[in-house]
Amino acid sequence: MPSNKELSAALDIEGSVPIHSVQLDAMVVLKIVKHCRESIPATVTGQLMGLDVNGVLEVTHSFPMPKNNQDSEDDASNYQVQMMRCLREVNVDDNSVGWYQSTNMGNFMNQSLIEHQFEFQQALSKSVLIIHDVARSSMGNINLRALRLTPAFMQLYKEKKFSTEALTKAKLTFSNIFEELPITIRNTALLTALLYELETADESVEVSTSHLTTYKSTASTPASKSVLAPSFDVLDLSLDPYVAKNLENLMDTIDDHHQEQGNYAYWQRSVERENKKKAAYLLNRKTENARRAQSGQAPLANEDVDAMFKVPVEPSRLDHLLISGQIDNYCKQINEFAGPTLGKLFAVGELQK
Amino acid sequence: MVTMSRFFRAAESDSDDSESEYSDELTASDSEDHSGSDSEDESSSDEDGAKKGGAAGRGRFFEGALDSDDDSDDDTVRVVKSVKDKRLDEIEQAVSGIANGLKINDWVSVQNEFDRANKGIQKAAGLIAQSGVPKFYIKSVAELEKAIQAAAQKEKSASKKLNPSNNRALNSLKQNIKKNNRQYESQIQEYEKDPENYDKEPEEEEEVVKKPKVKKAKKVVVSDSEDDKEDEEEAEDDGFTPVGAGGKSVELTQDNLYKKLREVVDARGKKNTNREEQVKILERLLVVANTPYQKIIVLLNLVSAQFDFATGVSGFMNIPLWKNAEKYLNSLLTILEANPLYIVKENVPDVDDEEKDRLPEDGQPVLIQGSLVAFVDRLDDEFTKSLQNIDPHTTDYVDRLKDEVGLYAVIVRSNVYFKRLDLVDSISRTTMRRLEHLYFKPDVVIVAVEGATAALLSSKEATTAKESEVLIHDLCVFLYKNANSLQRTRAMLCHIYHHALHNRFFIARDMLLMSHLQETIHQADVTTQILFNRAMVQLGLCAFREGMIREAHTCLHDISGTGRVKELLAQGLQAQRYGAVSPEQEKLERQRQLPFHMHINLELLECVYLTCSMLLEIPAMAQAGNSPENKKKVISKPFRRMLDYNSRQVFTGPPENTRDHIMGAAKALSIGEWERSVELIKAIKIWELMPGCDNIKEMLAVKIQEEGLRTYLFANASYYSSVGLESLGKMFNLSVNTVLAIVAKMVYNEELSASIDQVANVVQLHHVALSKMQALALAFADKASGFVEGNEKLLETKTPQPQQGDRKKGGAVGGKEQTGKEQGGKQQQRTMGPRGQRGGRNQFHNGLGNSVRGGRKNQQQQ
Repeated sequence: MPSNKELSAALDIEGSVPIHSVQLDAMVVLKIVKHCRESIPATVTGQLMGLDVNGVLEVTHSFPMPKNNQDSEDDASNYQVQMMRCLREVNVDDNSVGWYQSTNMGNFMNQSLIEHQFEFQQALSKSVLIIHDVARSSMGNINLRALRLTPAFMQLYKEKKFSTEALTKAKLTFSNIFEELPITIRNTALLTALLYELETADESVEVSTSHLTTYKSTASTPASKSVLAPSFDVLDLSLDPYVAKNLENLMDTIDDHHQEQGNYAYWQRSVERENKKKAAYLLNRKTENARRAQSGQAPLANEDVDAMFKVPVEPSRLDHLLISGQIDNYCKQINEFAGPTLGKLFAVGELQK
Repeated sequence: MVTMSRFFRAAESDSDDSESEYSDELTASDSEDHSGSDSEDESSSDEDGAKKGGAAGRGRFFEGALDSDDDSDDDTVRVVKSVKDKRLDEIEQAVSGIANGLKINDWVSVQNEFDRANKGIQKAAGLIAQSGVPKFYIKSVAELEKAIQAAAQKEKSASKKLNPSNNRALNSLKQNIKKNNRQYESQIQEYEKDPENYDKEPEEEEEVVKKPKVKKAKKVVVSDSEDDKEDEEEAEDDGFTPVGAGGKSVELTQDNLYKKLREVVDARGKKNTNREEQVKILERLLVVANTPYQKIIVLLNLVSAQFDFATGVSGFMNIPLWKNAEKYLNSLLTILEANPLYIVKENVPDVDDEEKDRLPEDGQPVLIQGSLVAFVDRLDDEFTKSLQNIDPHTTDYVDRLKDEVGLYAVIVRSNVYFKRLDLVDSISRTTMRRLEHLYFKPDVVIVAVEGATAALLSSKEATTAKESEVLIHDLCVFLYKNANSLQRTRAMLCHIYHHALHNRFFIARDMLLMSHLQETIHQADVTTQILFNRAMVQLGLCAFREGMIREAHTCLHDISGTGRVKELLAQGLQAQRYGAVSPEQEKLERQRQLPFHMHINLELLECVYLTCSMLLEIPAMAQAGNSPENKKKVISKPFRRMLDYNSRQVFTGPPENTRDHIMGAAKALSIGEWERSVELIKAIKIWELMPGCDNIKEMLAVKIQEEGLRTYLFANASYYSSVGLESLGKMFNLSVNTVLAIVAKMVYNEELSASIDQVANVVQLHHVALSKMQALALAFADKASGFVEGNEKLLETKTPQPQQGDRKKGGAVGGKEQTGKEQGGKQQQRTMGPRGQRGGRNQFHNGLGNSVRGGRKNQQQQ
């Protein structure tokens, strides 16, 4: 029996209910992971199909996009259209609800990604971007993030106005470019049945609809040598490469940021210079006018002072914003990694005694 | 005969003045034509012509013209006449002026007229070439010479001397006339043979044609000067009754002296005032004045009148005027010294009756309004200005520089005078001036200047010759005690400079540190900042001479590292990079320039700076090794840049200039070839400019050996497990003890991970390799601090419009780095330190200082 809520969702033709979480089918996850891992280290993208129901975006299918390095945009969209037609013919969901992209060490904050997602969200207001971090997944836990651009950012991006003032007004910082949605992974009934079957074959753990966090805990439970046996990747002790890689990336980004700082400082200086010139000019005029007033002459005609001194336009802060976000990303990653790692090291230390 | 008729035709047309417009250029061509011809010849032929040509006044000229006619065409002759008349008129006037002057014994006017006559002769050079020197002139100069000789004789024996200006004129005339008459020797001889008949015709002509004119002219030109003199002479010379020269006369006597003076003073500064005229009047008034009071007030006006001239196109007072001013100032001081009861002061209460001679009553001194110290200041400033404007590579400059002793004497003299009056402000001002004339000079020069000054000044105020150090010390101490803060600062800087110049590094350094000048100098005015820069540079050079390389580098870095050395030391204008400087700014800059003789040799400065940089940078570079992060720690950017540039060149030729030498030496040093490095450094020629250059070269050689050893150890430590101290010593020609000391120091400073095995006499090297992770972490720490610093800097620089924007950024920083705020606080203090030192040089930093405070408040509010 459909509840009131479901009814309203069904009636929600305009799609005014905002999505608050994303539900991925297990097959979609596997497909994404497979696609991304196969094409490492290149960055790949793909389409997500599904439907938003009652604030939950259900993703039921996905297909990879071909690498369109040489191909033009038209080819890509042609492929997309054809693919969707084919899918419709075999009766799969053909409603595009977003896209996914692979990344390495959380390095995804860049202009093209933002632009792409912006276009998506312009066309389909409820589309999401799934980021799959291959490198981080290899450290034990699968890493999937569902991201959407915030409305404030969308607005600014539409206006292409990234001055400090605008940013302040929109209360936009690097931390709220994206909003992150929780992801749930859902298994179809058939799959669950299969799993149960496997379980009975060699008493296994339940892998089921679980949140990402619970997934982690289930993975680390001791189990038998079955197909569904957990991996011990998490216990890997070669920790340095990951942190080192992260640090390197972080430093590169800081260098970029440094460059932005330079640009901004340059702008500040030039503004200051112009303003000084302007002030000097105005003062000159003032004294001149005072002198003229004393000698009984008419004051100088009012000219358009602002037109005379062109204050340079503030450089776009978008890059800076993205770089800051990227730095934030890296910092969080290191933090996330370092916490459990410390525990691990202590544990190992104890063991070695 | 043909020519004759031609001429007469021409002469007819000449009578109307229509063609006089040609005259000038034609005379000019004339003079060229004839300049080569022998004047004596012509004048004799001229004479003949005159005799033949009959009595007509014009005839003579025509004859003269005729003689020359054979090589110039008719036109010339036609025109010449009117010009000729004019020129000859002038000369004649002057000649009669001489005669008049002689009659009344007024040698000043005689001298003036004589000069005028000579000028006329010069102008009429063309004419003279044609027609010979006018006879009346010859006659006049001949008689003048006689008269002068007679007068000189009389003067020697006379009981009452002529007054000084007259006497001076007589003397100079005596010199000039001899020189002058030598040119006309033959004519004069001729004249002497027959004085009566010599100039008969000309005389006639003069009487007939020119007499009236002359008289008229005399009224205008001569009356003023001559007649006044007569009167005054009447008063002074014993009972000599001059024959009135006719015409009205403006009397300048004691009685109307004040009136006249008042007139002059009132006219001063008005638009149409003829300054020369004013000065002349004043000079004459000075002659008239005979009480001290009168003399003082006339002199006061006279000196300022001299300064009024100074507003010329050239931008500085011309030198004769300056010398006049100096002369009058000196005589003013003489009078004031001789009459201690007359005091010239500023801010004297007005005296109601200025038109009266004032005498000191009951020992009460007479106070006179005036500012001697202003005169001295002005005199000094004008001197500096003239030095700024004279090309320093000419002898003019040297000549001008010789006047400094006189100027210095005036300063010392006035200083003594003020001391007597106990005018503290004036004393400190003159003392400051004195100090600024001395501080940059080496001992020997100061002693010489002092000696010359003592000789110039009369015995009672002679300064006791002291050692320069003591002298400077006394002057400075006086200023520390009495002067205002700006003068104290300047005195301190001069003192530091002087100490540094004489290799007293530690004294100079301690003074600099104790005075805390480094922290406040950026608030001072530009000239003081320049003085500060000079003192710093001198301190650096001093440290270098003393072999303290690091200190020298630190002192010089702020100045030499900027690439704006010229500007910072006010030794030349720098080419501006960002757009053109406004003319006013450039003018200001020009005014600040130091005269050439005060300059610090920039090439030497650069050489010293680069050498210091080399000795510090090369080991540091070796130490940094291959790690890119350490490589970025640069001690001296300009040096690095040059070295990079040098090593990028495909082929480096043998070193030519100083830089090449140092770069070559640096390269040799970095690969351990210390001998070659020493050789190159020693080959630099500019060391010769340093006092004790041999010692310096030796010192540098030792330094290079030591740094070579350090460099070698840094660069090659990784290839050794142990090195024998002795072999190291052999390699760098150092004693084992020195090697031991150096290595021990390196180990102690943790520059080298090693230990010394004193039993085996070897250095054991430890090899510690950082893991990649560790290296990265270290690098990241640097990066992060740089990052925060960058953000702070952006935050500090206040952009006018986006106030909140700044805050937003601040917030971002705080969010990113958890310790952002605390770090920020520290950061600010850290960045403020160096700013305090460096900030002084441009105003820009001042603005920054304010905004720092603002920025902090912002943060606290958050």
